[in-house]
Amino acid sequence: MSGALRWLGALVLLAGASFFMSDYHNDVYRKLMLWVTLALGYNFLFGICGQVAFSHFAFYGIGAYSVVILLFQLHVPLPIAIVLGVAVCILVALAVAIPSTRLEGFYLALATLALGQLFIVVLNEGGAVTGGNGGIANYRLPDIFGVRIRGPWYTAVIATLLVGTFALLWRLDHSWFGRACRAIRDNAEAAAAMGVNVARVKVIVFTLTSALAGITGMVYAFVDNTVNPPIFGIDNAFLLLFMVIVGGAGRHAGAIIGAVLLFLLPFFLSPLVGHHHVLVFGLLVVGAILAAPKGLIGLYDAFRRS
Amino acid sequence: MQDFLELAVSATASGCVYGLVALAYLLMIRPTGIINFAVGEWAMVGAFGGVVLLTKYEWNYALGMATVIAFMAAVGWATERIAVRPLVERGAPILAPILALLGMVMVFRESISVSFPPDPHAVPYPFGLGRLEWGPLGGSYQSFFIVAVSLLVFAGFWLFFEKSLWGRSFEAVALNRRAAALMGINLSRVTSVSFAGGAAVAGLAGLLVSPNVSAHYLMGVPLAIQGFTALVIGGVGRVEGALLGGLLLSFAEQLAARYAPIASGFTQGVPLLLLMLFLIFRPTGLLRARA
Amino acid sequence: MRSLLFATLALFSAVVFSQPTIKIGVITDRVGVSKPYSEPSTEGLIFGAEEINRRGGILGRKIELLVEDDQSRPDISAALARKLIDQGVVFILSMSLTPATQQQQTVTMEAKTPQMTPMNSGDTLTTQLPNPYFWQTGPLGSIQIATLLAHARAKNLKQVALITDNSDLGQLLGRFFKAGLEKSGIKVVAEEVIPRGATTASPQMQKIRAANPDAMFMAGVLTAENVLIFKAYREFGLKFPIHSSYNLSVPVYMTVAKGLIDGVTFVDAYDPEKPQVKAFEAAYKKATGKDSFNLHGYGYDGIMLVAEAIKAAGSTDKEKIRAAMQNVKYEGVMGARGMKYSFPEGKRAGFDPNGMVVRVYEGDKQGRVIYTGQK
Repeated sequence: MSGALRWLGALVLLAGASFFMSDYHNDVYRKLMLWVTLALGYNFLFGICGQVAFSHFAFYGIGAYSVVILLFQLHVPLPIAIVLGVAVCILVALAVAIPSTRLEGFYLALATLALGQLFIVVLNEGGAVTGGNGGIANYRLPDIFGVRIRGPWYTAVIATLLVGTFALLWRLDHSWFGRACRAIRDNAEAAAAMGVNVARVKVIVFTLTSALAGITGMVYAFVDNTVNPPIFGIDNAFLLLFMVIVGGAGRHAGAIIGAVLLFLLPFFLSPLVGHHHVLVFGLLVVGAILAAPKGLIGLYDAFRRS
Repeated sequence: MQDFLELAVSATASGCVYGLVALAYLLMIRPTGIINFAVGEWAMVGAFGGVVLLTKYEWNYALGMATVIAFMAAVGWATERIAVRPLVERGAPILAPILALLGMVMVFRESISVSFPPDPHAVPYPFGLGRLEWGPLGGSYQSFFIVAVSLLVFAGFWLFFEKSLWGRSFEAVALNRRAAALMGINLSRVTSVSFAGGAAVAGLAGLLVSPNVSAHYLMGVPLAIQGFTALVIGGVGRVEGALLGGLLLSFAEQLAARYAPIASGFTQGVPLLLLMLFLIFRPTGLLRARA
Repeated sequence: MRSLLFATLALFSAVVFSQPTIKIGVITDRVGVSKPYSEPSTEGLIFGAEEINRRGGILGRKIELLVEDDQSRPDISAALARKLIDQGVVFILSMSLTPATQQQQTVTMEAKTPQMTPMNSGDTLTTQLPNPYFWQTGPLGSIQIATLLAHARAKNLKQVALITDNSDLGQLLGRFFKAGLEKSGIKVVAEEVIPRGATTASPQMQKIRAANPDAMFMAGVLTAENVLIFKAYREFGLKFPIHSSYNLSVPVYMTVAKGLIDGVTFVDAYDPEKPQVKAFEAAYKKATGKDSFNLHGYGYDGIMLVAEAIKAAGSTDKEKIRAAMQNVKYEGVMGARGMKYSFPEGKRAGFDPNGMVVRVYEGDKQGRVIYTGQK
């Protein structure tokens, strides 16, 4: 029972904070929480299960575009649009996951990288359906039971998504499923020998985390009320990977720290070092990997132990 | 038919460039297993080396080219020293240096971006902008130059790996690191040389392609992706595979753009589809490594 | 004692007579794909703001520019717009990619803050969102093609080729070029795209050659890829005339496309013989020691327009500025001789449809104006 209370408490704290922030800080806070949600999901896929995939961010885009197209091009009512959007993400994830079980390591990375790029090509060539290069704008979240959810209330929705995702992944991690994933990450052959159905676990993990990324994308669609191809480019896939690595792959706390640090860093660097800020960012990332290959959370652990 | 022959020349030239980038990856992957995505940025740095020495200071082309290649070898050696060796020595998992090198992509790109004005820069042609007719084949001087230089480079590396003692030690390390170390092969020297070689080859690729596409700070990423696709298609095992993969990729791209009855915008998807197909059905590529 | 009194009086008068600055926000790209265009444009803007301040500012107050870098990332762009609004800007100038400008609009519309882009040319910016606080004074794609066609009318074109790249602006311009061509009854017999990162344009140019066009229209905005097109054109010994979008007006082509662009015509919003242009170039050179070119003029005109609107409004109230900007009529550095920016009948795209000129490359130099407007 105290476990559920803790989650609830975290939710209240995260959601409540948004009521005390200005518009700009609210905007940054929301996007930060979305990135943390993505990082947690990616950490499960990559850090805990050892699957090097670059498609996570593409599913973020698939979710966002799906819900917008369903709602505003096909005029489907909101609850059905949400369900269908999730279904689309699951279907695409399965279509990618099932053949990829045959791929290892960097082959999987490559295939998912190609998928991410193909997604952008489809978006750009999608004509009236996807809005082409300009994307789709000029929409807003429809009223739910006559209530307009905006401002800090929408931030509360995002906080709920974050806490919900975290809670789900946490429970999964501390179950036989989590152990199976770690076993596959450490030594797939040994895991199979111990009776783990490696292919099935991989497919489930990939589909689950990609669907979560898709749901996060659906929530994002109403943050800026715009979706366009540049938002979902592959640079972000690399940034997500960096977040998880720098924070500490395999640890939820690591994903959170990495996401917070790498997302907020450009905002602080830019006024400090002017237009060199990307260079400094790159140097910091390389430095972080060199100094702490187990991630920042690894440093923290070492400190705790000493 | 004439179209096809002309395309054959231009596709061969582009394929050689992709093949060189693929070779750069290969030189580093074989002995160390490290995938270095910074090869695209290395190509860009090589191109900008050409901008400085050949365009700005107007050096003799051969001398300028040799200097750029030597400079890139030093850059490769330094990159290995800074971003790779500390991690390998500490026994970090193989992913760590790959990620550090990904971070270096940003560092290289931004270093060039802040040092030069943002517009693309011209790099001179060694033989000027002219057309050469060689039997039924016709193409620009630069296309023939690229093919000639690339063939030399590939022949050189093939001989190196097949015939020389050094080359054999590379192969030994690629096959089994521990056994190679036990036989007295200096692992860290092999790694340094492989990175220096990879950077030199990548820089050469950048220098060869830049008179056509101009040198600009965003040219690295597309080259890195095309080079990697070529590597997957050709197979990581053999030097010839890199060239074969590059040629196949380039022919597919250009023939699709010319003859495929689909909207022009979709032809960018061709290399991506090829990559995914190969990964699913033939991940080891077309040419297998020797046993 | 007297010096202390003097100092106190001086301080007191400085406090009393110094007014708070007028904050104007600028969102530009310092590191991403828009940098080659955003950088010179923003430099022109900053020069303009300094010039205004040297002359005493607006309404007796100095301009304070708050400049943010959105890295050509639209999601960061929107957050930065919010940041600037929270910091109290009365106007936002968008000097980055078209999708970034678009994304900022969702914020400025909600916050009722005036926003303008002096350089984006995508037609959809003023049509996709009904945002009464947004204006666009860049030369629209539809104006570009109409001007090019007016110039080409004498040539009696029956069938032409259209070539562009896969950037968002290139695709947008391509769409409007095609629409303009078809509206004039000209058949588009070949439509090709050069993807970013291509190493050659040969296949696409071969297809165009096979279609036998009377002329080729270029709508692309990526420099390296455009140069590939010129190279293939020369290599194949093609002879049909080339008409290009305003992208060819950027001076970089004179260095990277040397020997390739003689005779190419392009639309531009810059007439180098215009007296305002000569004055601007001289003043810029004097103040910064560097040469200016057409891109600087966009930013300069942008800040001047904003200053005009605030002056006409007589205050920094956003609603008054909005009304004043809607009624502004201003002759700036860009545009043909005598062209004024204006927003008649509630439209928010302010570049006069007759305000572009057609110029031609003579050798490697940007040559004279050979046609003006759409008549």
